[in-house]
Amino acid sequence: MWSELRGLKDKTDFGTPPRDGLPVTLEIDGVSVTVPAGSSVMFAAAAAGQAIPKLCATDMLEAFGSCRVCLVEIEGRNGYPASCTTPVVEGMKVRTQSETLRRLRRGVLELYLSDFPSSEIEGGWSEFHETLKAEGVTESRYGNGRNHFDATIDQSNPYFLFDPAKCIVCSRCVRACAEVQGTFALTITGRSFESKVAASQDQPFFESECVSCGACVQACPSHALIEKSLFEGEYRHAEPAKT
Amino acid sequence: MPNPLKPDRSVITTCAYCGVGCGFKAEMRAGKIVRMTPWKEGKANHGHSCIKGRFAYDYYNAPDRVRTPLIRASIDDPWTPVSWQEAFDYAASAFRRIQAKYGVKSLGAVSSSRCTNEEIFLVQKFARAVLGNNNIDNCARICHSPTQFGLTNTIGAGAASQHFDSILQADVIMVVGANPTEGHPVFGSLMKRRIRQGAKLIVIDPRKTETVESAHCKADVHLAIRPGTNVAILDSIAHVVVREKLYNEEFVRARCEVKEFENWKALVGSDKYTPEAIGPLAGVDPADIRKAARMYAGGPNSAIYYGLGVTEHSQGSTGVMCLGNLGLSCGMLGREGVGVNPLRGQGNVQGGSCLGSWPHVFSGYRFVTDYETRSSFEAEWGVPLDSEPGLRLPNMLDAAVAGSFKGMYIMGEDPVQSDPNQHHVIAAMKNMECVVLHDLFLNETSKYAHVFFPGSSSLEKDGTFTNAERRVSRVRKVIEPLAGYQDWEITVKFMNAMGYAVSYDNPGQVLDEIARLSPAYRGMSFALIDRIGSAQWPCDETAPEGTEILHRVKFPRANGLGAFMLTEYVPTAERTNDKYPLLLTTGRILSQYNVGTQTRRTPNSMWHPEDVLEINEQDAIARGVKDGDFVRVSSRFGQIELRAKISERVNPGIVYTTFHHAKSKSNAVTSDLSDWATNCPEYKVTAVDIVRAVMPVAEIPRAAEMPRVEEMETTE
Repeated sequence: MWSELRGLKDKTDFGTPPRDGLPVTLEIDGVSVTVPAGSSVMFAAAAAGQAIPKLCATDMLEAFGSCRVCLVEIEGRNGYPASCTTPVVEGMKVRTQSETLRRLRRGVLELYLSDFPSSEIEGGWSEFHETLKAEGVTESRYGNGRNHFDATIDQSNPYFLFDPAKCIVCSRCVRACAEVQGTFALTITGRSFESKVAASQDQPFFESECVSCGACVQACPSHALIEKSLFEGEYRHAEPAKT
Repeated sequence: MPNPLKPDRSVITTCAYCGVGCGFKAEMRAGKIVRMTPWKEGKANHGHSCIKGRFAYDYYNAPDRVRTPLIRASIDDPWTPVSWQEAFDYAASAFRRIQAKYGVKSLGAVSSSRCTNEEIFLVQKFARAVLGNNNIDNCARICHSPTQFGLTNTIGAGAASQHFDSILQADVIMVVGANPTEGHPVFGSLMKRRIRQGAKLIVIDPRKTETVESAHCKADVHLAIRPGTNVAILDSIAHVVVREKLYNEEFVRARCEVKEFENWKALVGSDKYTPEAIGPLAGVDPADIRKAARMYAGGPNSAIYYGLGVTEHSQGSTGVMCLGNLGLSCGMLGREGVGVNPLRGQGNVQGGSCLGSWPHVFSGYRFVTDYETRSSFEAEWGVPLDSEPGLRLPNMLDAAVAGSFKGMYIMGEDPVQSDPNQHHVIAAMKNMECVVLHDLFLNETSKYAHVFFPGSSSLEKDGTFTNAERRVSRVRKVIEPLAGYQDWEITVKFMNAMGYAVSYDNPGQVLDEIARLSPAYRGMSFALIDRIGSAQWPCDETAPEGTEILHRVKFPRANGLGAFMLTEYVPTAERTNDKYPLLLTTGRILSQYNVGTQTRRTPNSMWHPEDVLEINEQDAIARGVKDGDFVRVSSRFGQIELRAKISERVNPGIVYTTFHHAKSKSNAVTSDLSDWATNCPEYKVTAVDIVRAVMPVAEIPRAAEMPRVEEMETTE
């Protein structure tokens, strides 16, 4: 019972919450795996040891389907569904690796990278950085267009900061605040390029309804929300990107 | 800006703050703790955390942390730093001299729920085996002692019947005198998760707390009772259950003492407890009492969670019994999703309760008067033990004032700040010849101490904590103790200096001794916990990995049946009158923890730089008090000054404050009344009056000018 809490593992991120359900058997890259009904394809792949790259998904939160990195091919289905929002079906055959998938993922990751401070790519160890490494993406074909590099860093909270320059707007922080903590202090304001994480009425974190539980920091895949204690000295903006 | 520095090592341990007992990973880099992150496999927290455990850990390294033992001949002298051996010898010779002069019973010991199980066990062993008496108490005296008494007498075990996750099966959640989203935040989040899934919520609390209403969480019924009317309101709820025949007759007949049930029915079913009689007395709408009773009895799964708002009353034990009775009568015990659960305040209050830090019982609540139990301890410890129950902490203080009690070993407690009627406590302290204080920081009590043992924080030692769901989890040493010794080592060395030869290689051996001597812990060991993460007692041959739900088949009483206790409402002697027309009640806030020793040494104080007095606008206007004014709060016992905050959270006639800051001295006004059965102080009801106070401008600390963390008071 309560697998969504009790089935969590310290060293594995299944991508979507573990479920209680009758066993369903499917094939991931030719490997047979049995998971509870209600699980996602992403969960099944992680359980089979074939983890699918992802950014907006993590197993403490319900699937969201926004980052488009976790695309897969499913036999008998059109297109490239997101594995996080696709529930498992008995007998399903899933491919997580193909030349097309690699190309699609690269394209998406490069778009993310086009608005990420290039001086901060090397040496990073966030999930975003690890995903870039795993997919072999080091630079973006799209060059430097409009970006958020100069957005104000919110350092109002004594324990963590928010640097919008590194934010990929995956909503994990917003969802953690709602689903895990239950405070609903965070939201995404604006649309398209103007989309950004905002606390309460777009206030500094410290002045907002945020209760500083740390769930958003824990959920952030790109170190945009990060503990101040991991830095020596004052936190500054990234160096301007060199072209 | 370069990327964040990556931690290179981590240690899994248990948070030392509240009774939730979250599992954390203490992450290190180059030997220093750089962050604490919640452990996804922690069975109490499932990867979640709150501001205290996640961020407020740096107190361990505060500049005013005492790092060398201190002694002095008189409390008027300055402290002299000495070596550990000198401190042990000094304290031991003073203690032996006092016992030679005033008798064996002139000394006692107090342990704390901030200590590990192993330390708590060693301190009571110190009192019983080394001092040779049963003068041992712990801080649960001032918070959850009525839980012990009230639950044992009804459902047979003074502990939560459930595990935390059980709430995810509850259809109705009844929260009485607790504010989980502030006091037990990670459990509060779990509760809110269940409420968002559709569970109904009943809150009984004088104050409109965050639990009553917050985003996507609103109580279906809030009984905003007048402080001190818990028993009346719970009896009235029981009245509705009885008169409308909402009780579970099948459960009662199968699992409870039926004759006592009939007696109870006759009492609470009588006309004096009708909602129409009690409603006006308690300040709530009778219709809401009926609604709450029907909702609770209707279930199908109803769970009770309660806190100090039930226990810290002159009828604290009776209030707890009311909850036990209610659970039994409606059959809300013995399965998932139901239960009667105390929300324990400190990290190890449950451990403090279980492990014999009481003057009348050994671990497992077995009486010191019982020959067989005593013999088992005598055999293990190799000394004869006193068969007469010892003094409770308030009685030790009374005896000190009277002159017959002369010294105390206090571990991890600050009774001068945290115990009721501060003037009396200070008089007692001044009257003692040797007070040995074992703590991280000098505090209010250290002003009256003669020996100071600098202790170790929970990051600097090994041991176990038992959380509010009976879960025993490992505390693991992350860094070396700043003052040289782990707390358990200090107590053992003090025992040795007193002439009692005992040694342990590690605290795992102390847990083994606990397991040998305590039935509920029989199966506990470091090895078990290391293997399965944590285990809930009872843990023995029949439940080798612990027990999640109690009372499934029978209640742990001699005949296995649940018992109904008669819970007549007796109003507290603390009454309002013309001179003291308002009722003061107290509580906690999220960012601070208890008397603030830890959290006030962290940036958490940015959220709560001072205790404020919440007052309803109506009462404020009547007294010419504006928001932010300083007010003088006076009671029959003393007076304090606080900044007023006009708030709709409290009803007219009621004022509220927190007790996190030493300088506000909330306990200088609280009454000296206490629970009839256990002496738990009545912190929750004090008749007061409020007048505007004029403070010299220079003395008014504005929030913006509050001392920065590094400048914060070094000697509180």
